[in-house]
Amino acid sequence: MTFWSANRIRPVENEYGKLVGELHARRKKNLAMGGAEKIDKQHQRGKLTVRERIGLLFDQGTFVELGLLAHQQPVRGGESDPDGTPADGVVTGHGDVDGRQVWVIAYDFTVMAGSMGAVGEQFKAARVRELALCYRKPIVWLLDSAGARIQEAAGSTFAGSGWLFADQVVMSGVIPQVAAMLGPCAAGTAYIPGLADFVPMVKETSSMALGGARLVKAATGEDVTDHEMGGSQVHCYESGVGDNEVADDVECIAMVRRFLSYLPSSNTEQPPLVVTGDPPDRLVDGLDKIVPVNPRSAYDVRKVVKAVFDQESWFELKPTWAKNIVVGFARAGGQSVGVVANQPMQKGGALDSDAADKAARFIRMCDAFNIPLVYLMDVPGFMVGSQVEKEGIIRHGAKMLYATSEATVPKVTVIMRKAYGAGYYVMNGKGYQPDTIVAWPFAEISVMGPEGAVNIIFNKQVEAAEDPTATRAQLIETIRAQITPYLAAGWAMIDDVIDPVETRRVIIKGIEQARDKKIDRPWRKHGNIPV
Amino acid sequence: MTEVKAELVGSVWKVKTQVGAQVAEEDELLILESMKMEIPVTAPRAGTVKEVRVKEGEVVKEGQVLVVLE
Repeated sequence: MTFWSANRIRPVENEYGKLVGELHARRKKNLAMGGAEKIDKQHQRGKLTVRERIGLLFDQGTFVELGLLAHQQPVRGGESDPDGTPADGVVTGHGDVDGRQVWVIAYDFTVMAGSMGAVGEQFKAARVRELALCYRKPIVWLLDSAGARIQEAAGSTFAGSGWLFADQVVMSGVIPQVAAMLGPCAAGTAYIPGLADFVPMVKETSSMALGGARLVKAATGEDVTDHEMGGSQVHCYESGVGDNEVADDVECIAMVRRFLSYLPSSNTEQPPLVVTGDPPDRLVDGLDKIVPVNPRSAYDVRKVVKAVFDQESWFELKPTWAKNIVVGFARAGGQSVGVVANQPMQKGGALDSDAADKAARFIRMCDAFNIPLVYLMDVPGFMVGSQVEKEGIIRHGAKMLYATSEATVPKVTVIMRKAYGAGYYVMNGKGYQPDTIVAWPFAEISVMGPEGAVNIIFNKQVEAAEDPTATRAQLIETIRAQITPYLAAGWAMIDDVIDPVETRRVIIKGIEQARDKKIDRPWRKHGNIPV
Repeated sequence: MTEVKAELVGSVWKVKTQVGAQVAEEDELLILESMKMEIPVTAPRAGTVKEVRVKEGEVVKEGQVLVVLE
């Protein structure tokens, strides 16, 4: 390079360069979030930054950000800190998950503790909700937020707030909504996960509660930490508000991607078909070693699910709550299905209030998003007794009846062993329009067991007998002989009795058979589900 | 000390452990009978059985303490 040429191209101080340079400086500043110190703190808490999380959520290089240059604005004459509030504490935009567009609202705890300010909520998050619904694409919330920014929200202009939940309700059953719990989610904002379709929670770092610890102390005097009150040990084990407890942010976001892989982008599409390589006509080996023929013996139904559906495709939801019913997604010949299975290992598989509630919500999610349902039945019935009546089991059980009855997606029922009482109904018995309903050879379909039936029907006869014990035993055997799947099959009330090894093929054929299913029902504004 | 409680109302069908026994996590402590099912009650963690508070044939309530581990 000669002296004169270097001289000739020296940078000119022009307006263009200065203006573009300012843009890049602004971008750089806001991409740096709350600064190095806050980011260190975030990492020390075992959490990733909002931008690291987004990097994990989306396919590489697909994230498009809207509102990077936003910042806090003075509200009602208050102070504002435009320099200290990059992106106003929430990163918004869209990217691809396995090549499909997904929208994100991700709170940045390094900026004013991820608190929800006027700009972030009323302009940024609201825009994501508007566009995602307009384009019919899923929304993922990455929640790590102290809640409403009180300095902007206190006072009676609160009157104009809160429509985000109304938006969520409008989106419900139209686009999938995921609320990933990666930090605190205090106060009213806990209704974001409350209304979402899927809520994974990171152990230790995440929590949600309608009132944070300080508010609780002021309101009721109770001394409790946010974690004690609303950590995953509460919501994934006791309350059922959370779905799956995960170890850290990385696992959480991987699980969000996995969840979305089973769902369509919206209710107007079919779920994606995946090539799993597992032959649809594969005979299911090993069921004889999993399921005892003795109907009183327990076993882990998840082993049946894993054996029947495509290898590695089982994704259980709410695995640590209401464990007497198992729900989750799997693939059947590459097709997404929702599995509802009784779990004899827990409470004998008897249904109770929480189990009915868990199943009902899952069934409705599948029905909303065109995901066929497969019921694997082995149910001794609904729990009976004074305890469950006080809980309102009739009301909760009715939710499951309602959901199963209402679902118009393809529905396949396999009666493995027990099918007793209303348990048979809610597990998609004959009356609930199964597209295929089959039983294994040792299935027991009956309103109740033979012992209970004899007590009710033949009580007087037994009491009057010379040898009541022998008479009772004889009557029990008479009734027991009536409990056989061949009686139901002989009446064509069920479609077939199958060898358990045929279960996979029968399920896949049953779903295929119902591909063009169309059910017309009388017009109504909406039903009145016993919530 | 860990209290192992009945997860549902039922009767004690079989007691499969005794005071002083060393148990591993998931070991069967006793079997309840309820809703026509034999429902195993397993140890939530490893430990020593300090107390067995129920007898075979006894009816137990949901939440009732069956076994205490140490």
